[in-house]
Amino acid sequence: MIKLEHVYKSFGKLEVLKDINLEVKQGEVVCVIGPSGSGKSTMLRCLNHLERITSGKVYIENEIADERLNDKDVLKISQEKVQQLCTELGMVFQRFNLFPHLTVLENVMIAPKIVRKQNQEEIKSIALDLLDMVGLADKKDEYPSRLSGGQQQRVAIARALAMRPKIMLFDEPTSALDPELVGEVLEVMKKLAHEGMTMIVVTHEMGFAKEVGTRVIFMDEGRIIEEGNPKDIFDNPKEDRTKSFLKKIL
Amino acid sequence: MLTEAQMMSILNGTLLTVKITIFAMIAGVLLGMIIALGRISKNKILNAISWFYVWVFRGTPLLLQLFVVYYALPLLTLDLFGSPIKLPGLTAAYLAFTINTAAYLAEVFRAGIQSIDKGQLEAGKALGMSYNQTMFKIIIPQSIRRLIPPMGNELIMLIKDTSLVASIAMFDLLRSVNQMANATGKTHYFLYAAGIYLFFTTIIQYAFGKIEKKYAAYE
Repeated sequence: MIKLEHVYKSFGKLEVLKDINLEVKQGEVVCVIGPSGSGKSTMLRCLNHLERITSGKVYIENEIADERLNDKDVLKISQEKVQQLCTELGMVFQRFNLFPHLTVLENVMIAPKIVRKQNQEEIKSIALDLLDMVGLADKKDEYPSRLSGGQQQRVAIARALAMRPKIMLFDEPTSALDPELVGEVLEVMKKLAHEGMTMIVVTHEMGFAKEVGTRVIFMDEGRIIEEGNPKDIFDNPKEDRTKSFLKKIL
Repeated sequence: MLTEAQMMSILNGTLLTVKITIFAMIAGVLLGMIIALGRISKNKILNAISWFYVWVFRGTPLLLQLFVVYYALPLLTLDLFGSPIKLPGLTAAYLAFTINTAAYLAEVFRAGIQSIDKGQLEAGKALGMSYNQTMFKIIIPQSIRRLIPPMGNELIMLIKDTSLVASIAMFDLLRSVNQMANATGKTHYFLYAAGIYLFFTTIIQYAFGKIEKKYAAYE
């Protein structure tokens, strides 16, 4: 479903991704762990063009989404194509990024409304179903500022799902939350995983990675150091850097 | 007290002041928005044009712009095309006040748009919205609330600055009372003008306060 080939990314002189190769298949829940600044979020953001890769290739749904060399396009991909590929990916941000001037329901409805131009009634019923799924149907007419962080993040998940993405990307979805609100967001993510959604989750929640992840990737200094099933990575890491990271956080 | 002729003169002057203000405000908002979008656009040419526009029309006196449009344009066009283009006073005033207001508002709009969190643009993009869709449905609606106070400022400046049209032979509010004062040697006529200016600026202040409250609903 998603493939990264020899992906490099630099911000000026700082190289944040170094030769990343990754393939994610349908139904996988890939959890990406690693210290701050290891390039986890950047890798995720390269998938939907929030960052442009410096070199390498990105495939989404077997279609080439980006091919670049030394910060120049090898393959010119039209803006429309990028937008269309973006709709295959739903993204949930660390800081929610809900639209504050729209109500909860409007937040969930806006993308299908203006991108897909679907029928209003149909969008609304889908949006209400999604809000029901994340347990916030009763908050549909509130503005985001009236909700707790956990509730906002659940709305953000519903908003991303409203575009019917095939893959969900989570960029540290619980890092900005008060500890007591983390659980409700993870519950929703678990539910999604159980429904078979393909997910890439950048997270510091090791419990979630262990329980829900089908594969864990450990990144450090812009490289994928080690990957494998959660049991192997957590109980029996091979690389020293993985060991020392896990020792620090567990 | 005022004679009927004086009253008519003040009324006509006030009407002119209001007409120029309303025209320049509406046209200035539209033009200013276009220039602001040019300023933040990734297109280098649009960027340069709008930068140049702001640089010139914010950097030169309004009075000079008024002179250029009214006095210099006919001479310039005579030299260039052999026939002068002479704008009527009111048209010249509309034009000069619009371009000047647009230059200031463009900067107000640009700052307002750029003050919106970058995450909003990213969220729009991640949902598959185009730049324009995100701009017009997400970013600009949010920036409006922040634009209201500086826009109110701009409008109040504008209504007072309209008195400059006296310099292109037009009788606005201030010039009409000035004439009365000169003719009669009494200065209390200026109080009428002050009262009328204050009346309009109070309305603007009140209306903008209301609008600000309305847009604050979601915060």
